[in-house]
Amino acid sequence: MNNGLDKIRVIERAELSEENYFKSLLAQAHSKDLLGDDDIERLQYECLTLLAYKTERYNSGDSSSIRVEKAVSIMDSNLFTIGLWLKTYKDPDYAAAVLRKASINDLYQKGRKRIDELVSVTKAVHKKLLGELIQTQNEFYRLTIEDGINGFFKLYYADFAAQEIHISADYPEYNPIPKFEGIEFMNAYVNALYFENEFCRNFSAEDIHHLLCGYAEDYRSLLINIYELVLTAALGCTIAGTDTRRLDINDTGKEYLRHIFSIMPYSEIVITIRQAAKELTCRFRCQSGLARYIQNSLPLIAGKIETAAREHTLDRIFFTPDFPENKPKIIFSYGEKMDDEQYRKIINEIAQCRVSQDKIAIIKQHIHSLADLEDILLDADLTTGETASVLSVLNLAEIAALLKRYPLMPQIDMIDLREEEQLLRKNLYSFIRRLSQEQQKAIVKASAAIEEA
Amino acid sequence: MNFELIPFASGLMQKHAVSEIVKCNDYTEQFGLSLTREQAVELVNTRSLSLRDNGRIEFGGGATQKIIKEFCDSPYLYTQNYAATLHELIETFYYYKNETLDLISDDDLIKFMKSAFDGVCQGSIDLLSNRELYRLAKNLRFGLPADYSEDSFTEDEGDDDE
Repeated sequence: MNNGLDKIRVIERAELSEENYFKSLLAQAHSKDLLGDDDIERLQYECLTLLAYKTERYNSGDSSSIRVEKAVSIMDSNLFTIGLWLKTYKDPDYAAAVLRKASINDLYQKGRKRIDELVSVTKAVHKKLLGELIQTQNEFYRLTIEDGINGFFKLYYADFAAQEIHISADYPEYNPIPKFEGIEFMNAYVNALYFENEFCRNFSAEDIHHLLCGYAEDYRSLLINIYELVLTAALGCTIAGTDTRRLDINDTGKEYLRHIFSIMPYSEIVITIRQAAKELTCRFRCQSGLARYIQNSLPLIAGKIETAAREHTLDRIFFTPDFPENKPKIIFSYGEKMDDEQYRKIINEIAQCRVSQDKIAIIKQHIHSLADLEDILLDADLTTGETASVLSVLNLAEIAALLKRYPLMPQIDMIDLREEEQLLRKNLYSFIRRLSQEQQKAIVKASAAIEEA
Repeated sequence: MNFELIPFASGLMQKHAVSEIVKCNDYTEQFGLSLTREQAVELVNTRSLSLRDNGRIEFGGGATQKIIKEFCDSPYLYTQNYAATLHELIETFYYYKNETLDLISDDDLIKFMKSAFDGVCQGSIDLLSNRELYRLAKNLRFGLPADYSEDSFTEDEGDDDE
């Protein structure tokens, strides 16, 4: 019978560490007199005996000593395994009472079985997730879910390194996972990704692609959470009454969202999106697990909406889908390259020139295709001024074509390029920067639209 | 809550290790060699220091007993140098456990040490440590046979030239 009264607990679950559950439980139980000095000493001795046994197994009986860092790692693995079992007791006081009676070896064996169960369950969820994975061009999504998680199962060594994660889970889950370790983390991570994928499956791959293009055209190489963008867009569509299935918040819808959220306090934003989420989960017939996951995501989304509304940047929260395939394309031919022998002669001729004007004159006289000009700019060892003079002869479309070949990139990535190319890029960018704002915009736009013939 | 391994382990295991070393006297007395309790304590201290210096941890009597039992019939050990040699052997043993990257078992390393000590080193710990074990560790690290020697290879070449 639930009489509405909570049991008074000596140890609060929130006071215990998720990472070092066993150690923190011991510390709390000892400080609150649930375990005496004798109990602690016995438990420590038994932990050491277990470590000695595991060390012998690790060395296959070949060596009686082991490197300290490995011994510490095995000890951590043992404590993690015991902690995993103790976490199955909902009441930490009861877990402390169990510690008083049970042997460490017994707890370890139970923890080990729990790990095996978690591995089986996580593998099953992962297999299902792989079978239902949404099609997306984002590199990190499939890479992490397929290769990364498979790598984890390949490397996971529950006997001696149960607390290790081994892989870096690159793709970020949306709802934060507590500081778990080992299989406990992987289980929570795979479950989170399963729910996120499950939600995204309610939309077509093209609609998600267009939405993500609206976020950033180069979303393929960005470490973003797809679920967050899809859920936010779906909530926005539901609230604005636009086409939720297509994730299409049109301009009127965005204006409406801007209008209502700009006057709402956080509490009202939460209520509004909770209502929208309810509609969504009913409409898509979401299972209770997924519905709960969505509910847990809402405070994060509400927080972002509140901040964006205050900063007048709701455009960066609710995106209009973008259709890059519909944008006009410029087909550009760089032209034929000249004969190698002739090219070599021109390069030698340029090298022998003493004044810049002569070099420019030779280039103007002999170079008739952008492909050759590109080579000359790389090979002729021109100064910044000479390069600028050559570039000033070109029209904007040709500059845009060069920019397409040598796009702006961060300084750090330039290190991998050969010196001549680095110099050409620098000269090209500084030349473009000296042009008017309008010309710069036109070049960037044209460069994005250019396709090589 | 202290789960720091080294202080915890050494405190609890120290007494146990001393009595195990003293027990070895039953076997070594037939060769006229034995250790007093004080000497056993000193050996355990040397072992602890060697383990600490080499970043290792050991449970039980471990390798010390094995070293004692293996070396006690060496013609180069006698009452006056017995304890001192054991100290050096223990230090050398743990140092080369690390240097060989744990690629060789305790038993094999001790057997190798004994064979070299009684053989080519003629009872010299310096030769054992700086030449034979150095070569063994290098061979193991490079994936060569344990007894591989560059000297023997060049000597053979020299013979051919002659």
